[in-house]
Amino acid sequence: MTQVAVRPPVDRPTRNGGRPRGVETWSAGRLARVVTMLFVAAIFALPVLGFIAMAFRSNDGVAAGDGGFLGLGDVSLDNARYSWSQVNGFGPDGGLFTRWMLNSLVVAGGGAVLAVLAALPAGYAMARLRFRLRRAVLLVTLVTMVMPNTVLVIPLFLEVNAVGAVGELWPVALIMGFFPFGVYLSYIHFMTTMPRELVEAARIDGLTETAIFWRIGLPISKQAAVLVTFFAFVANWTNFFLPLALLSSVQDNQTVSIGLQQLIGASPLFNPTVAAGLDVKLYMPQLALATFISMLPLLAVFLGAQKFLIRGETVGAVKG
Amino acid sequence: MTTALTEERAAGAPAPTPPAKRPRTRRVSRPSETRGAWTLMAPYVVLLMIGGIIPVGYAVKTSLERSPTPLDPTTGFGGVDSFKTVFTDYRFLDTFTNVFATLVVWLPIMMLGIVGLALLIHASPGRFGSTMRFVYYIPGALAGIANFVLWVYLLNPAQSPIEGFWNALGIETIKQAVATPGHLPFILTAMMFFQGVGSWIIVVNGGLNGISEETLEAASLDGANAWQLAWHVKLPIIKPWIGYAALMNLAYGFQLFLEPQLLDQVSSNALPDQWTPTQLGYAFAFSNYNFPAAAAMSLILLVITLVIGLLIVFRSGLFGEEEH
Repeated sequence: MTQVAVRPPVDRPTRNGGRPRGVETWSAGRLARVVTMLFVAAIFALPVLGFIAMAFRSNDGVAAGDGGFLGLGDVSLDNARYSWSQVNGFGPDGGLFTRWMLNSLVVAGGGAVLAVLAALPAGYAMARLRFRLRRAVLLVTLVTMVMPNTVLVIPLFLEVNAVGAVGELWPVALIMGFFPFGVYLSYIHFMTTMPRELVEAARIDGLTETAIFWRIGLPISKQAAVLVTFFAFVANWTNFFLPLALLSSVQDNQTVSIGLQQLIGASPLFNPTVAAGLDVKLYMPQLALATFISMLPLLAVFLGAQKFLIRGETVGAVKG
Repeated sequence: MTTALTEERAAGAPAPTPPAKRPRTRRVSRPSETRGAWTLMAPYVVLLMIGGIIPVGYAVKTSLERSPTPLDPTTGFGGVDSFKTVFTDYRFLDTFTNVFATLVVWLPIMMLGIVGLALLIHASPGRFGSTMRFVYYIPGALAGIANFVLWVYLLNPAQSPIEGFWNALGIETIKQAVATPGHLPFILTAMMFFQGVGSWIIVVNGGLNGISEETLEAASLDGANAWQLAWHVKLPIIKPWIGYAALMNLAYGFQLFLEPQLLDQVSSNALPDQWTPTQLGYAFAFSNYNFPAAAAMSLILLVITLVIGLLIVFRSGLFGEEEH
């Protein structure tokens, strides 16, 4: 009984016959709660498990319905190797998928670096300095933070089109660097970890405002830096609409999220006429493998940031 | 009451209020402080301009231009013509009807799922609760297109693990599953619920964890059972988080694009090509090359989501500043 360990028994009468809290028996309500939660967990976990298994299955096995429960019996590394040869064989000379992955790393990584470089000083300034328009800038940040960034994609396309840079990677990275949620995270971070008195003391010591940030603020902002980088990278990596509008015209410069859409479009499952002209055959195992590989960088940054994510949970999406 | 306070804040926040009206500022800001602040904010302000202000301004300008046509290739000031084009487009009302139909199905299910599961987790302290919270979060890691490919796997009866479910409905192809009239709002609901509920559970759970142990003990002493505790004590306290989640998801619903766009692709173009407002804006830009109309469509969506955004910031009570 895990509850015993968490809550010390309290010597008070409770509704279940004077037993202390924490050593409740399996009442009907508790049973219903646990069963409901396990049922929901199965609904959430099983499709993901079956999908990952799909990445390691063979086309023939899937067509024949082999493998039993979720196809787990059909799984092998050889299947994944074959699927990879198909996925990475896509494109005029092959290798387009690898190219897309690299492009994604460049724009998502570059965007995340820009986001953190801009967010930390801005968050600090809004949290600890007084200036006119401070609340206005904060308000704009909050509102843009809670608005879906998709609504700005067409205007952003028009802007990039006006400077003639559609199809290039750098405008995408630059736009991804605008990450108001990161500024908000930094703002909360400096509010909670850097006392105003510290700033005042540094001023009396004769430091300029920017020097205070560099010498005192920045060294204590590792937590915020990791969180901003993590959230920005994930948002950039999974962004679909912005790369679709800005990069569709140049196949070599697309990101992996757009690339996956192209792989779907080239699958005989959904588009037999297009697929008939291709050397590679992209059935569900190949699509699942490509998706699985496209998620690995996210898994890597998650593992890297895990320690900070757990500690920073209270900072979370909203102020707790 | 918080409403009055937030309204006051709403009135005061956007404009640079004169120092006399700012009760919290005891001293006038020093020039060196102002200079330092803007220096530190410079990179962010530049990105804010590039990523937010300039594109919106440029979209306003574009929307007021005239779109070139084969007969009249000139452009120039067109007044509100592009807005007329958008409003009178035969698809315009349909796209909003579609989004509303989806929201009507999705939002209640989503909110019920978020609040219900968060309360269940909160009622299960210890390892079981945190394990369940983690499991519910797993699909959230598959965002965007990855979630979409997973749903292609689930929706295609030929290989779906829920093949039995589709067979029971008499559905044999993914095209039937997606394009049968009336299916789409439910399929989108399932896709977005699966992808989004986990992270919202964590947010609402954060709110629940903020409730003091004494409050819960006191309610238990008064004889509240688990159900009454959830309904009469926990639920009222986490109201701000619930409102925040509802509004954020509402705004999210208006910008639907990826799912309907790609579902059309995997169902042999059996769906309407412009099912949501964002898809319509995309079509104006990339199919018709009518940039003024595309800009006008974006601005309409921008205003809607801006209003929802302002509601979140001023009414949810979660973004009050200077409390630390």
